[in-house]
Amino acid sequence: MKSSKSRFRRSFASAQRPAAALLVALSLFASTFIVGASAGQQQQQQQAGRLTQEQRVLHVLNRLGFGARPGDVERVRAMGLDNYIRQQLEPEKIADAVAEAKVSELQTLKLSTAELFAKFPQPGQLLRQLERRGQLPPELAALQRERRAEATASRPEAAPPNAPSQKPGDSQTEMMPGPGGAPRTAQPDAARPEDNQQYRRAIRDYMLQQGLQPPQRIVAELQASRILRAVYSERQLQEVLVDFWTNHFNVFAAKGADRWLLVSYDRDTIRPHTLGKFQELLVATAQSPAMLFYLDNFQSASPGGPMRGRLGPLQQMRQRAAGQQAEQQQQQQPQRRARGINENYARELMELHTLGVDGGYTQKDVQEVARCFTGWTIRNPRGLRQMAMGGEAGAGDAGTFYFNPRLHDDGEKVVLGHKIPAGGGMRDGLMVLDILAHHPSTARFIATKLARRFVMDEPMPQLVAAVAKAFTRSDGDIRETLRALFASPEFNSPASYRAKIKTPFELAVSAIRTLGGDTNGGPAIHQWIARMGEPLYGYQAPTGYPDRAENWVNTGALLERLNFGLALASNRIPNTRVNLSRFAGGSDGADTAKVMERFLGVILQGDISPQTKATLLKRLSEPTPQAATNSSQEMNGPNDAGAGTGPRERGRARRELARAEMTNIGNPEVVKVVGLILGSPEFQRQ
Amino acid sequence: MSINRRFFLKSSGIALASIGLAHTAPSFLQRVVLAAGQSVKTGGRRKTLIAIFQRGAVDGLNMVVPHGEREYYALRPALAIPRPQSGNAETAIDLDGFFGLHPALAPFKPLWDSKRLGVIEAVGSPDNTRSHFDAQDYMESGTPGRKATEDGWLNRLLQSQPRADASPFRAVSMTQTMPRALQGRAPALAISNLADFTIRAGQYSQSVQGGFEAIYDQGVADVLRGTGRETFEAVNYLKKVNPAQYKPENGAQYPRGAFGNSLLQIAQLIKAGVGLEVAFTDVGGWDTHVNQGGARGQLALRLQEFAAGISALVRDLGPLMGDVVILTMSEFGRTARENGNRGTDHGHANAMFVIGNSVKGGRVYGEWPGLKSEQLYEGRDLALTTDFRDVFGELAQKHLGSTNLQKVFPGYASSAQKFRGVL
Repeated sequence: MKSSKSRFRRSFASAQRPAAALLVALSLFASTFIVGASAGQQQQQQQAGRLTQEQRVLHVLNRLGFGARPGDVERVRAMGLDNYIRQQLEPEKIADAVAEAKVSELQTLKLSTAELFAKFPQPGQLLRQLERRGQLPPELAALQRERRAEATASRPEAAPPNAPSQKPGDSQTEMMPGPGGAPRTAQPDAARPEDNQQYRRAIRDYMLQQGLQPPQRIVAELQASRILRAVYSERQLQEVLVDFWTNHFNVFAAKGADRWLLVSYDRDTIRPHTLGKFQELLVATAQSPAMLFYLDNFQSASPGGPMRGRLGPLQQMRQRAAGQQAEQQQQQQPQRRARGINENYARELMELHTLGVDGGYTQKDVQEVARCFTGWTIRNPRGLRQMAMGGEAGAGDAGTFYFNPRLHDDGEKVVLGHKIPAGGGMRDGLMVLDILAHHPSTARFIATKLARRFVMDEPMPQLVAAVAKAFTRSDGDIRETLRALFASPEFNSPASYRAKIKTPFELAVSAIRTLGGDTNGGPAIHQWIARMGEPLYGYQAPTGYPDRAENWVNTGALLERLNFGLALASNRIPNTRVNLSRFAGGSDGADTAKVMERFLGVILQGDISPQTKATLLKRLSEPTPQAATNSSQEMNGPNDAGAGTGPRERGRARRELARAEMTNIGNPEVVKVVGLILGSPEFQRQ
Repeated sequence: MSINRRFFLKSSGIALASIGLAHTAPSFLQRVVLAAGQSVKTGGRRKTLIAIFQRGAVDGLNMVVPHGEREYYALRPALAIPRPQSGNAETAIDLDGFFGLHPALAPFKPLWDSKRLGVIEAVGSPDNTRSHFDAQDYMESGTPGRKATEDGWLNRLLQSQPRADASPFRAVSMTQTMPRALQGRAPALAISNLADFTIRAGQYSQSVQGGFEAIYDQGVADVLRGTGRETFEAVNYLKKVNPAQYKPENGAQYPRGAFGNSLLQIAQLIKAGVGLEVAFTDVGGWDTHVNQGGARGQLALRLQEFAAGISALVRDLGPLMGDVVILTMSEFGRTARENGNRGTDHGHANAMFVIGNSVKGGRVYGEWPGLKSEQLYEGRDLALTTDFRDVFGELAQKHLGSTNLQKVFPGYASSAQKFRGVL
């Protein structure tokens, strides 16, 4: 294996040489077209001809998956690249025991939305329900009375309002969109933090006793499941497509009830439809509570429709069962403003999910489509009734889709020239989805987005046309569309090799994979992905993350990418581990050149420009400066203890190293080498 | 180059020499100098806009008190701030005989008196949403009612004035993650702590950084390597500024906590002359549904920190406030009538502060729609008379020199006629 690897590298080196010469020439006038040069670089590669077989394997492992693990390249070569692609297009036939075992510990993934509402209540809502039913535990009631008395006395330190008596509706269920998507609750900060802490602790203890957990846990586990599956799953293309469609049909976790609704969205809406008919996926998203909530359609009601009383008969029945106050509370505020038509979903459905912004629809079409979808709504959308019934209410149907004819506009509509007859009820919306799924603009729009994702940021028109044709001919069969895309000359051309900048999620996962690392997918690794700019389920706008290099490459994000590689290589990310010594072999890191050569093979399969390599070697052979300056030491936050032990920081650093179980710290030079290669321009690309 | 530097020092008024940097200014700063030289017509200096978002919807009616309005006292028997009364620190601080400041905003009074602080009343989003989520989204995207806007208005402001020579510190958000307002194609930084803006590898930081610099500094030029070079210029420059050693000037005392800390770091960046044009930060805790308090209490405490932070920033920046405008905003106002929990619920129009030496301060701008029940929006909230885009647009054009407001606020007919004249 060792010898095959070095042969592999040699073949790369020789293939690269002519291209490299051209690149050097190019660089002489590079300063005049800093950005444009990447296009020039691609052209040069293109002229160099076809991808080598090794490059094709890497390309497929990067684009159809999250990069190679140790041994993957050899495995795919042995089975044949075309067989591998064929296999990835049929994920249901791939055994995936390891990944399934990893995610089996995440309890929320298996729960229904009603169970999630019941077991992961918003503490404020829970307390309010308890209070209403006179079941507030005495300690909490006492603390609450104390706080209220203080507030009424209007002392300067008056305690902040907390959940118990706070108004329901958007202030309560809706979290504040933190900038860039970090969810924050709308609760004000504590005026007197120690009080607040005591109160919060009391609430937490109560929840613990009752076997309840805070709702933040739900999204954290969902994020963990995405990371775990991307790292461990053999169904790599499936995970790439989950990422693609989740972003195409974006939902923001911090909007209102969506954090409870996203588990079902991932499990029941996206995953089963990644490679099926586009129309089925479209219907699934249209009927998903997560999307209905995110784009407000659950509140959309015909202004002239038959809705009079606020509650349907079914709801009234439930209300009796569930305690009236909870129900009224749920109904009042959201619905007071809800009456009336809401066009948000109708607009984004055409602009972002199907036709594209210039897809040929009018504002009138938006209004007509919105009328068609009135009544597509959610049962008990915020799960308040679950909480009113206590923790055992998990069996209900809270947070599920249903069609409410009382909210529906049953008149005739005309959508994109198609007449939708009066009296169609729920069929109206289904007809709209059918029209949209078969519209030529949709074929073009989906083809463009797939080509952008799998080939390059600005895909060539002939590629888009070919993929759109495959989409149309197969009646929107995603599997067949992708088959055509992967077989296209553009996908397999040198111009698309390493033409995409990895997204932060792809970078993090591919770095762990390439080093054969292990992770629990927990908050620590997700936080890094968020810092690099891509918190999962954390994009606020319905567009989803833009899929272009310029959105990922800026000064701050690049610095985080470099720091991520260093943190990973030095095992400073809690619950994510790499074992570098298994690659460093017997050389002990003493011969830096040899170590570097090994890791270039592991991380980049040796495919690195001769200049980068020469520069790396030169830098690494220089002696490491004895001590960093004071200021640079101060710049290292306590959570990012370095790999070494400076005189001043020895004690602290040692403790931190011990905590981080840095097994491979034996030679920090190895960490340095790996950090530099993970941070190299080559590894940022795929 | 020496000409450049002289020009830079002279024209920008930034005392680089005083922090020992004149001879080490990185190349992006030298480009800043050139750019400044070329744009003499817009003043020849780097102007900075500091946008402060009060997340959670501050109660504008208790922040800037309409004490001349009888209905205000009728609507808020428990929460109203008493009419101004000299010598009584628990009453409104009179501004113009009709409006007054909440007493916790006392640090703003000298700014008002010296005509450096203006108030815009009854301003906000024309969209009627009362959801924090949607309203913040709209105020940051700058496109009320339209959710699919990809980027924020501050980012489009940068895009509308592309600079090949832009400083990596051109737009900085002192927040953990990039706020919606600054998301988009134009480069922007989100940093919660300037000291983190570096390569973090402990004792090996220097040597690892050297390695990165070398590989990103190679001949092959593309977007990654270009960004890489700029990144290290910025890192190295910031290192010399040495954020940990910063001492506020003029006796400025920032309040402890995240808000004061973010303002302090903005001051630091401005003084260091890193080419900052747009700074953003936010401060929460305004969603006062219950026990809001009056002259004292919950809201008072939040306002106290708010005013202490901003007034410290103004004091610290001293004469540099000639190039700086501070703008405060919040997603919507709160109900005119107090609720049954001694609090206020989600409302509509609100008030904003605009602060700076170039501000025509000492005035309340905008039309006051009144608080009589027929004057209230939907019978419950302060009505809107100024679209927030007219305020943002005025600052974008007059302060930052934007000439393309159509791009900054797509779908909105921005025009100088709609500006309130606060600058």
